[in-house]
Amino acid sequence: MNNTVDVIVQQKINEQLFQKLELAYFCVDHSMRVKDASDNLIDYGYEPIRPGSDIEDHIDFMIGLDSHTELDLPIVASPSGIPISVSLLPSENQLTVLIVNASTQADQRQLLQQKANENELLVFQQKKLMVQLEQASLELEKKNMQLEEASRLQTSFLSGVSHEFRTPLTSIIGYTNLVKQDLQKVSQELVPRIVGNDDSPNYLRAVQRSSKHLLSLVENLLDHGKLDSNEIVIRPKATNILEVFEDVELLLKPLSNTKQVELRANIDLPPKALAVLDDSRLRQCLINLVGNAVKFTDIGSVTLDASLTGEVLHVTVEDTGPGISQQDLEKIRLPFWQGSDTGKAGTGLGLTITERLVELMGGELLIKSELGKGTVVEFELPAPLVYLDEPANSLEGIPVKPLRILLAEDDTDIADLVCMMLIERGIEVDRVENGALAVEALKKGRYDLVLMDIHMPIMTGYDALAELNARGDTTPVVVMSASAVDADKAKAIELGCRGYLVKPVDVDDIIGMAGQVLS
Amino acid sequence: MVGDFSVGKTSLTQKFVNNVFSDKYLTTIGVKIDTAIVADTKLIVWDVAGRDSLSPINASYLVGAAGVVLVCDGSRASTVSDLLDIWNTVTERIGVVPAVVALNKADLPEWNISDEMYAAFDKQSWDVFPTSAKEGDNVKEMFEKLVNKLSSQVV
Repeated sequence: MNNTVDVIVQQKINEQLFQKLELAYFCVDHSMRVKDASDNLIDYGYEPIRPGSDIEDHIDFMIGLDSHTELDLPIVASPSGIPISVSLLPSENQLTVLIVNASTQADQRQLLQQKANENELLVFQQKKLMVQLEQASLELEKKNMQLEEASRLQTSFLSGVSHEFRTPLTSIIGYTNLVKQDLQKVSQELVPRIVGNDDSPNYLRAVQRSSKHLLSLVENLLDHGKLDSNEIVIRPKATNILEVFEDVELLLKPLSNTKQVELRANIDLPPKALAVLDDSRLRQCLINLVGNAVKFTDIGSVTLDASLTGEVLHVTVEDTGPGISQQDLEKIRLPFWQGSDTGKAGTGLGLTITERLVELMGGELLIKSELGKGTVVEFELPAPLVYLDEPANSLEGIPVKPLRILLAEDDTDIADLVCMMLIERGIEVDRVENGALAVEALKKGRYDLVLMDIHMPIMTGYDALAELNARGDTTPVVVMSASAVDADKAKAIELGCRGYLVKPVDVDDIIGMAGQVLS
Repeated sequence: MVGDFSVGKTSLTQKFVNNVFSDKYLTTIGVKIDTAIVADTKLIVWDVAGRDSLSPINASYLVGAAGVVLVCDGSRASTVSDLLDIWNTVTERIGVVPAVVALNKADLPEWNISDEMYAAFDKQSWDVFPTSAKEGDNVKEMFEKLVNKLSSQVV
C-alpha cells in the first residue's frame, strides 16, 4: 500500500515538475540515434522526433557534441525563440538531454547585461569624445597662436609701412609749408603761377593736399591693423568738446568750399564743458564721418549736429548726397569695401575704423540711408563732465626764454626742417644724429628739452633714454617718432620720456608739447 | 563567433545568414544558433554572448566547435587586443582549431588597426578580414575562408 502511494506521489511530483519547468527531453544512444523523446519538444520549435533517427537531423545544437561528455548550456535560443537551458547527461548506455524553459533567467540577464554593456559603451564614447575634445582644443590653441602670430606680423608690417611713409611725409609736408610761407612773403605779382590765386594752378596746395591724403591713408591702415589685433586703447581725458567740434568744422570747411556743398555745424555745447573723452579718437571719428559726407556729396549740404544731454554726447552727420542702397548698406561696414564711385575711393577703412572706435568709446554707430535721399549717421557717447584747469598748450607763462632744445634726429631732411621751424620761433636748437651723441651733448651742455627720435643708428632713442636715466639726467625728453604703435609709445613712457609726438609734426605741436612738459 | 560585447558578432552572423543589418544594439544572452550552407557544407553558427569586463566567455558554448571566428571592433582598440586572451580561452577548452579574424566596423571613420596588432595576428597565422556587417564588406569571404579551412583542416 505504501509502495503504491509512493509511486502515485512520485508521479504527481514528476508531472508538476515537468509542467512547471516545461521540461522536455530526448535520449540518444552513443551513436546519436534517438531512443526516446518527449512530445513537448515541439513547444520549443523542434520537429517531432522519431525514435531511431539521427538526432543531428533534428536538433542543430547537437551537431558536433560528444555523447559521452556532460555539458550544461545555460541559455540557448531555441527555434521557437524561447530561451532554453540544455543539460547533457551521459550514462553508460545513452545520453539524456534535458531542456527547460530559461525565459525568466534570460530576461533578467538580458535586462542587466544590456544596461551594463550600454553603460560601458557610453563610458568609452565619453572617453573618446574627451580625447577628441582635447585634440580639438589643442588644434584650436595652435590655430589661435597662428592667427595671433599672423595678426602680430600684420600689425608689425603695417606699423613698419606706416613708419617708412611717415618719415618722408614729414619732410614733404613740413617743407611744403615752409615754401608756402616763404613765397607768401614775396609779392604774388612776381610769382603768380607758384603762389597761386583763384585763376592760376595751385601747385603747392595740390602737393599739400596729396601729402595729407597719403598720410591719412597710412594712418587708416595702421589703425585698422591695431583694431584688428585689439591694440588700440581708448585714453579718455578731460576734453573741451566744443573745441573738438570747432576744429573739425574748421578743418573740413576748406574741403566743402571746393565743392558746391555747404557745411553746417549746429553745435549746441556749453563753451567750457569738459568731458572725459578720448579727444583724438573722437576727432578722428568726426573727421571720417564729416569727411565722407562731404566727399560723397556733390551738391547740397552736410550738417553736423552735436548736443549734450546730461552726460551723453549726441552726434549726427546728415548729408544730401546720393544715399546708399539697402544692398550696399550691408557692405559699407566691411573693411576695404569701396563704393562703385571709384573716383572717390580711399582705403575703404574709414567707416570700419569709425564704427569700431565708437564701440570702444561706449557708443554705437547707426546709419540710415536711401538712394537719392541722402544719408544720416549718428552715434551717442558717454561723456562724463568734469571741472579741471585747462592744460597748458603753449609756451605762455613759461619763464625760461629763449628755450634751448637738443634735437636728436638721424634724418637730415627732418632735422633741417625742425631746426628751421623752431629757430623761426626764436628757439635755440642744437642737433645731433644719434642717441649716443645726444647723451654726450647733455653731458656738456644744459638744455630745457630734448626732442628725441627713436630709430637712430649707433644708439636708439630708447637706449639713450635708458642711459640718461642711469646717469640721473633729468632733462625732459619728448620723443618724436614716426611710429604710431601704442607699444612703442608705452615703452618710451616707461623709459621716462615726458611726451610722445608722432611724425609728421608741425612747429605748433612741438611748442604745445614743450609747453605742457615744461609747465 | 567569439569576441568582446558589441563588436558585431550577431550583426556579422545575421548579415551572412539572413542578409540583414540593424543599427540597434541588442546584447546576446547565452548563445544563438543559426545555420547556413556554404559550398555544400552545412555551417552551424554559434553566436556566443560577448565577453565583458564582468563575465568571461562561457567556455561550455565552445565545446564541439570545429572552428572559430574571432570578432573585434576596429574602432575600439581594446577589443582588438582582447582577441589574444579570447583565443587562449578557446584553445584551453577545445584546443587549436581553424580560426579567422573579423576586424569589424571597417565602415567607421575611426576604424584603425595598429601595425603591432597586425603583426600579432600574423604571428598566429590567422586569416584577417576587415569586415563591415553594415555594408557587407568581406563578410561572405570571411565565412567562406573558414569553411575552406575547415574542409581542408588547415590549422
